[in-house]
Amino acid sequence: MTINQLILRSFKKNIKNYYLYVFALVFSVSLYFAFVTLQYDPAMDAAKGSIKGGASIRAASVLLVGIVTVFLVYANMIFIKRRSKEIGLFHLIGMTKRKIFRILGMENALLYFLSLGIGIFVGFSFSKLIMMILLKITGVNAVTTLHFSSQAFIQTVLVFTLIFLLILGLNALFIRKQTILSLFRVTSSAEQKVQKLSVWEMFMGIAGISLIAFGYFVSTKLFSGDITEMNELFIAMVVILASVILGTYFFYKGSVSFIFNLIRKKKDGYLTIKEVLSLSSIMFRMKSNSFLLTIVTTVSALAIGLLSLSYISYYSAEKSAEDSVIKDFAFTSQEDAQTFKEALKSEDLPYEETVIDVVMVRANLESIIQTGEVMDVDLSKMELPVVSEKSVPGVDVSPTETLFTGYSDMLSKFMSLEDSGKIEFHSTTGSIPLDYIGLRDEFIVSWYFTNGGQPVAIVDDSLFTTLQQNFDPEVQRESSVFIGIDMKKEETIQQANKLYLDLGLDDNYMNDSQLQMSTDQKLIMGLSMFIVGFLGLTFLITSGCILYFKQMDESEDEKSNYTILRKLGFTQGDLTKGIGLKQVFNFGIPLIIGLSHSYFAVQSGWFFFGAELWTPMLLVMILYTGLYSIFGFLSVLNYKKVIRNAL
Amino acid sequence: MNILEAKQIHKSYGNKFNKQEVLKGINMFIEQGEFVSIMGASGSGKTTLLNVLSSIDHVSQGSIFVEGKEITQMRDKELALFRQKNLGFIFQDYNLLDTLTVKENILLPLSITKTPKKEADQKFTEVANELGIAELQHKYPNEISGGQKQRTSAARAFIHDPSLIFADEPTGALDSKAASDLLNKLSQLNQKRKSTIVMVTHDPVAASYCSRVIFLRDGQIYTQLNRGSETRQAFFQDIMKTQGVLGGVQDDH
Repeated sequence: MTINQLILRSFKKNIKNYYLYVFALVFSVSLYFAFVTLQYDPAMDAAKGSIKGGASIRAASVLLVGIVTVFLVYANMIFIKRRSKEIGLFHLIGMTKRKIFRILGMENALLYFLSLGIGIFVGFSFSKLIMMILLKITGVNAVTTLHFSSQAFIQTVLVFTLIFLLILGLNALFIRKQTILSLFRVTSSAEQKVQKLSVWEMFMGIAGISLIAFGYFVSTKLFSGDITEMNELFIAMVVILASVILGTYFFYKGSVSFIFNLIRKKKDGYLTIKEVLSLSSIMFRMKSNSFLLTIVTTVSALAIGLLSLSYISYYSAEKSAEDSVIKDFAFTSQEDAQTFKEALKSEDLPYEETVIDVVMVRANLESIIQTGEVMDVDLSKMELPVVSEKSVPGVDVSPTETLFTGYSDMLSKFMSLEDSGKIEFHSTTGSIPLDYIGLRDEFIVSWYFTNGGQPVAIVDDSLFTTLQQNFDPEVQRESSVFIGIDMKKEETIQQANKLYLDLGLDDNYMNDSQLQMSTDQKLIMGLSMFIVGFLGLTFLITSGCILYFKQMDESEDEKSNYTILRKLGFTQGDLTKGIGLKQVFNFGIPLIIGLSHSYFAVQSGWFFFGAELWTPMLLVMILYTGLYSIFGFLSVLNYKKVIRNAL
Repeated sequence: MNILEAKQIHKSYGNKFNKQEVLKGINMFIEQGEFVSIMGASGSGKTTLLNVLSSIDHVSQGSIFVEGKEITQMRDKELALFRQKNLGFIFQDYNLLDTLTVKENILLPLSITKTPKKEADQKFTEVANELGIAELQHKYPNEISGGQKQRTSAARAFIHDPSLIFADEPTGALDSKAASDLLNKLSQLNQKRKSTIVMVTHDPVAASYCSRVIFLRDGQIYTQLNRGSETRQAFFQDIMKTQGVLGGVQDDH
């Protein structure tokens, strides 16, 4: 048999084992290729126009290369360790290290560049689809065409060839370092000795759980008003990150075996088959994989967190546009409003107009607002928009009272309002004491007056007239009227929006169209969601694959155990059930911890990103869990095969 | 009463064109309470015979009855059920699960049959005391010696009172002291518990502990020796002689 035949043979044998590796490689190559193609695509200019689309996609592709490199290097490490016996044998029969390296290298190259080719082809065919998804999400109307970018092709091949050279280098290093004996022994030495739980590990176990709990606790306090200084806030964030990540590491290193050991102690030696296969094996394995698992968990948490946040902002684009624009269209100048109304009339589009006079006052809110120094505002001289009760249907306040309405979630986190209290308005004629009687949810005037989230004070009409007369010129805005125009028929909004844009009303920053705002928002959020989404998917696939390879490795190591158990009379079904449980733990523990990390991360700061937390976050989590579980199922299938062949 | 009966068993490996016949029509029976050993040179088919008798491997032809039930006709699942109830195993390389403690390893066969915990504990104490490993119960396999491991393995084979115990070179990896220790324990248990033990070995000393020795040669039974009322020493001499006659290599004349 010549060397070439040898290479071909082992290639054929291995391709069956590595189908997931090939899949992950093909996926990442095609994604990278598609990203790079997008970068050079003229249709991207539309998305580039308003935002730095190209730059963010380039940044994403760099990150993608980073993730993929780590994955490929790691996967390669597992594979070469699995084959160390074979390498040892080649060595034993007198092959030089250089020749062995050539065999492995050729085989690797065959697998790698074949996948690369397929990946580029797939990426090419899907780049149009990906482009269409991007345009759909961002709401940009542009025609996509399928065209092959040779620039993208060269870049992809170049980048992945570099990664390949890195892998080859690592392989060479591995082979060079090994002696025949150590090659034969590599699997057994990689497996750590099974030992009793030490006190140190017990301590680590408890420390792990407490550190995570502590991190979570601090995260709930982060924006709740307890931490008020910028410096403290920064320190708190660092503390959270450090304690959660360290806690996660300790959790895998100690807590898992600690908890499992407690369960085992309770059983007093009498373990069912499920426990034999799950508890006892995981107890020792998780410890040795704790570093890997910590990374997997942290980055999954990051991916889920970012995905949730970007989806939250995308999902709430409409809602936040509604809160800040109020009506379908908002104007602050009679002139612009008039132009728009005439245009509507000439097009025969029915509409409804709401005019609200607004006067700005300085108010002393010290007694009803809790705040710290994070928000650098003087509470005794807050600028507050005031409207008359007449402008708000269904509200009637007495001359000595005031009702607030429309307070953004984000601001209310920093400056929480008391339920009632005494406040003061400063006017040119002196101060007016008022009873603050409560807060309504409704937003009534556009962001122009509220600075994007401050509440509006509703006062008695007579008081309002007084305020209007004695206004403080310093705090007034350019305009003191809010004109809202609502279209009577929803289907005419599009058309009205077109008129609005055609008339150039958009150029005045004080005018707003709700539709336009939500579209603009979606464009920005959509692009970031698109990028985060694909990066998240890549990470999901690569980390899933790594866990799968790890399990594949483990199943080979534990094959002899299955042989023993089957000889003892356990059926394949018994073993498979046990393995099922084991995989629930193996994949489930990192997943659940990742989910819970990301939950607390999102929970602590989601209000910066949008108005809706649960629906988008749960959707992201469910999707992530679903995709992630696929790898768990695949590994169970692999175990089933190993168990079947064990006897 | 015959606990095990094998009729004309054949076993061959390979395909139609390249067939290697390992067992060539073996007839044998084992009585209740016997301690039988199967001897033979390397490649004589000892381990294959043990594997087919213990239902781990399938025969190519012939039938095997254990307690009157034909195991050669059973399906995989029935066989698993049969093994958990009726058979115990001791292997040369112990085959202990190294992630389980000694006690957990020993209790495995009881957990398959879902024996109540109290009963299981009682059985464990009994068998562990007999084999002298009670104080090791919370240790892991890599913390104990080879002899202790093999006794753990033996305890696992005995704990569920199987009707038949198969031992494949149980002393193969042990030093002479540990080996004679183990063999003494085995023959004690054989007498005390009336358990039937079938042991494969190529060590005449180990075989001399048995009540009967079956010699295999090239996949066929060559001869048998019964110990009767002989001393172990005398029986050992007999075995040596027979082995001498048996030889390793066939003479071509």
